[in-house]
Amino acid sequence: MWTRKKSIYLSKLCVIEFIILLVGLIATAPWLVNLFLSFSRAPLQGTKPYFLATIYIGAVPAAILLYSLLKLLEHIELGAVFIEKNVTYLRHISWACFAGALIAIASSFYYIPWVFIAIAAAFMGLIVRVVKNIVGQAVELKNESDYTI
Amino acid sequence: MPIIVNLDVMMAKRKMSSGELAEKIGISQANLSILKTGKAKAIRFSTLEAICEALKCQPGDILAYEKQD
Repeated sequence: MWTRKKSIYLSKLCVIEFIILLVGLIATAPWLVNLFLSFSRAPLQGTKPYFLATIYIGAVPAAILLYSLLKLLEHIELGAVFIEKNVTYLRHISWACFAGALIAIASSFYYIPWVFIAIAAAFMGLIVRVVKNIVGQAVELKNESDYTI
Repeated sequence: MPIIVNLDVMMAKRKMSSGELAEKIGISQANLSILKTGKAKAIRFSTLEAICEALKCQPGDILAYEKQD
């Protein structure tokens, strides 16, 4: 039977898989970029350093995002959902998305399709920000409820 | 908060311990401590009623307003 615990476990597993993917991406970035450039039909001669820079710089917010997501899931697993720390993690996730969007938009000068990544990341950041605002209000309500005798 | 809880004073007047009061009004000692130390954000009418009944006093004997600068 599908339970809340199994659902959280699955989410944590997915986040860990993404962390492994990120580490793999960082480790194999030069090879992956070479592979992409050899397959791409777009005129991308001499853009390998730019692609590598985008990947390495983009890995920083991605790592922050994944770490925050993992910690958030750990708190949810322990039953601590509406706490101030989770609002902080959601804020970090949101800013990591916006940082990713900025990196992607800056990278669009040498490869236009980065714009789509930037839009998607900014949109995701916006959604997380709204969720963060809701959780923030819920934390306040919970505090008030906890301290109503 | 400018609302002061004078529960300690009333308890001392009635010579009632925290454990005894908590048991009489049906709340945990931890919650009573939150109330006594002024950490509470709100008090239910039902709790106030139970406290007044147990301590034989009026709400004004327990709660006071003190203007803050």
